[in-house]
Amino acid sequence: MSTELLSGFTDQARGSAEAFRVMLDAMAQPGRILPLKPDFAAPAPLFDSTAAICLTLCDYDTPLWLDDSLREAAVIDYLRFHTGARIENDSSQASFLLCTPATAAEALARASIGNAEYPDASATLVIQVPDFSGDRLTLKGPGIKDERAFTTAGLDARFWALMDENHQLFPLGRDVYFAAPQEIAALPRSTQIKREGQA
Amino acid sequence: MTTGYNFAYLNEQTKRMIRRALLKAVAIPGYQVPFASREMPMPYGWGTGGVQVTASILTPGDTLKVIDQGADDTTNAVSIRKFFVRTAGVATTEETEKASIIQTRHRVPEASLREDQILVYQVPIPEPLRFLEPRETETRKMHALEEYGIMHVKLYEDIARHGHIATAYAYPAKVNGRYVFDPSPIPKFDNPKLDDCAALQLFGAGREKRIYAVPPYTKVTSLDFEDHPFSVQKWEEPCALCGSTTTYLDEIILDDKGKRMFVCSDTDHCRKAQEKAA
Repeated sequence: MSTELLSGFTDQARGSAEAFRVMLDAMAQPGRILPLKPDFAAPAPLFDSTAAICLTLCDYDTPLWLDDSLREAAVIDYLRFHTGARIENDSSQASFLLCTPATAAEALARASIGNAEYPDASATLVIQVPDFSGDRLTLKGPGIKDERAFTTAGLDARFWALMDENHQLFPLGRDVYFAAPQEIAALPRSTQIKREGQA
Repeated sequence: MTTGYNFAYLNEQTKRMIRRALLKAVAIPGYQVPFASREMPMPYGWGTGGVQVTASILTPGDTLKVIDQGADDTTNAVSIRKFFVRTAGVATTEETEKASIIQTRHRVPEASLREDQILVYQVPIPEPLRFLEPRETETRKMHALEEYGIMHVKLYEDIARHGHIATAYAYPAKVNGRYVFDPSPIPKFDNPKLDDCAALQLFGAGREKRIYAVPPYTKVTSLDFEDHPFSVQKWEEPCALCGSTTTYLDEIILDDKGKRMFVCSDTDHCRKAQEKAA
């Protein structure tokens, strides 16, 4: 390793507390896009926002899986050092899965859904999206007053079909964070997703 | 602020574990997420669950309000508020409108809550089926299978014995049409406030090691029967201090000759109503 290891939160307790409140608000209000700008820079191709999620939630209890495009030595070293999480090769065994639009459908399909008695023993996906423009969706469910419009970029029809299935599994299922470089939004399993042109 | 402790008392590993539980709780409304509850510098039964939840969501910019049975000035509320002033240095308030986080024991504030507020409940027994089925393995299966028949039998037995549903607090409700949950020992008067509430509601049970949540704008339906619909308490007289007829009233015994008065349990709401009238 010749590159220098980049730092995490300047003040871990305050930095992670502020990041977590954004993550909690995002999960409680599905589809709301909220700024998440930590006071550090993560190694590319990992977004700062994704890194903030990992540094706030991951530790030795949460196996972490990364798709091939994120599986760079600098990223792995960074996450290992700052979180202590095991980097998992089998996506079905991971608590957190970091992926990109190209690998999101496959990762979603393989991620753990928990079991009937412990639906919380399920995975959380963090999908790095370039921005929140593109696919137009209408959301309904807990955390949403009536309906909410939501847009996100780069995800294909197969992914959204799997997200429909994921919602049908409730209370089982996975929860998803979308992370643009400095913003996040969440779609928990409880959210009903309607795509444009779909009945 | 006391030095030598981490921000908001808990260490970072504990907060990560609680934060993960909180996110799953929000994603599965009404489901009780097990968590590794810690020993806190206060006894079980004094709100250790609520304190751990508050410590995990608190940021330096928050304004905290703590109430016990609606009052800001009771022992439990005062000591928890002081605890967070000492360990997190956060601002505190007694005014519902000014708080970003409200930790509560057994009441929901009378003023309606907003989207930018979080209500944290202290919960003694999180499992609504516990007094009907003591085995955790069984209640867990019942939740998994959505098998809530015994709860309706319990309410029916109330009607058979008393002529009406006699459960007056910790009244069971169904969240988002799926999980039956215990809204903590709030009076059933407060149950309708949980339904479609704009604020995020988090529940922490320290001794029982469970966290659960009701996200904003979520359906919370109190269990009942078509011929015995859910209803809330009513009082024959208004609050003796502010004259309110729409709030939850406490009965206060004044002497040993049966003299009594009814006053609002929400002290902040009552004081504001008195100031307005003055």
